[in-house]
Amino acid sequence: MPAVTMVESPTDEKVRDAYRIAEEHFGMVPNLTKALGSNPDMCHSVTDFFAQALREGMVSWAFKELVILKTLRAIRSFYSYGAHERIAAELGNSMERIGDVANSLWTTSPHYTEAEKAVFRLVEQIGIDAMDVGDDIWDPIKAHWTNAQIVELNALITTFVMIGRTGDTLGVPEPYLFAEPVSSG
Amino acid sequence: MATIPYIEPEDADPITAQVYEDAEARFQMLLNIFKVTGHAPEMGQKMWQIFFDILQEGPKLDWYTKELLILKATKMGDCLYCVTQHEIVSAREGVSEEQQRDIVGVEYRTSPHFTEAEKAILDLCSYAVLDPEEIPPEVWMRVKEHYDDGQIVEIVTTIAAYLQVSKFGDALGVELEPVFHGHQPILFAEEPPKSAAAQRHLDHFLAQAPTS
Repeated sequence: MPAVTMVESPTDEKVRDAYRIAEEHFGMVPNLTKALGSNPDMCHSVTDFFAQALREGMVSWAFKELVILKTLRAIRSFYSYGAHERIAAELGNSMERIGDVANSLWTTSPHYTEAEKAVFRLVEQIGIDAMDVGDDIWDPIKAHWTNAQIVELNALITTFVMIGRTGDTLGVPEPYLFAEPVSSG
Repeated sequence: MATIPYIEPEDADPITAQVYEDAEARFQMLLNIFKVTGHAPEMGQKMWQIFFDILQEGPKLDWYTKELLILKATKMGDCLYCVTQHEIVSAREGVSEEQQRDIVGVEYRTSPHFTEAEKAILDLCSYAVLDPEEIPPEVWMRVKEHYDDGQIVEIVTTIAAYLQVSKFGDALGVELEPVFHGHQPILFAEEPPKSAAAQRHLDHFLAQAPTS
């Protein structure tokens, strides 16, 4: 049972708007949004940010889902891992690409490009010590990704530090995030 | 120097320009960390809205209480950028120097400068940062004795959001603005950074001459 009541039928206008944003994007209201429902400001801004992250961006959504899985593992987060495995598969990632994000398997996996591996190195280092991300990590990333993509990737990684910590601290179960299978494009 | 260039106001697109304007109105200056998100305007706009919502007197939770959580969470992450800025902001919101000194490590638990309610949420913060899976029932019991659901949501979101933004800025090497040069961070004087990299950043910052 989550630490706070999940609000099923909000009466506050701002919370209702957050639920509308969630329903439009996810086809349903995720439990995380419901768990934040007793605080209109937090419910609205976190839901809006969350929905912005889970879509096609300057980085493909399919790869973003692998980055999310790697991030949740790097911070030992349990929140929504299964839901993101499902989304990653729906977006076309093979079982190998989903499974090999675990521990150090990605470093020797033939299923990722060098550009993708450079991002996984960043994820792991942010999990260990974000103050210690040096040129050895940034240079390979800059060789493959634009500044805009770098900001998006860094925001995605750290967003899921936030989302993972919030979900885990409040004890939110999230077996599904989208009502229907998702697709890219 | 940050890993990627800052987007200065004159080069900002309309979405980012509005974020910069809001940030300057709120913080009386445009902080460097805003300038990196100019590369990804829509993402930046939605990300910063969370912080605009946190950094104010809330209908659910006062700004002073949120500053306690921000100091605790960002100090645990060795974030020089956040700790330095929020030592100044938290003092403005009523956090005393004694509280700043005692918030490090587990000092707050026996400090006479915190209420029982504050000690409960600082405990929650410590567990949330280190490992939420280990939060004991007695911590939740003490938190719920003093705070309702809406407040708990804001407490947890504030902790998690500051973990996010501190890692976001630190990974990109966002630098403290010259206006902070000369400030001697109290929390790091009480408890040095845990990581060697964070100590290097602190030494570099302390070597900067104060701006006049």
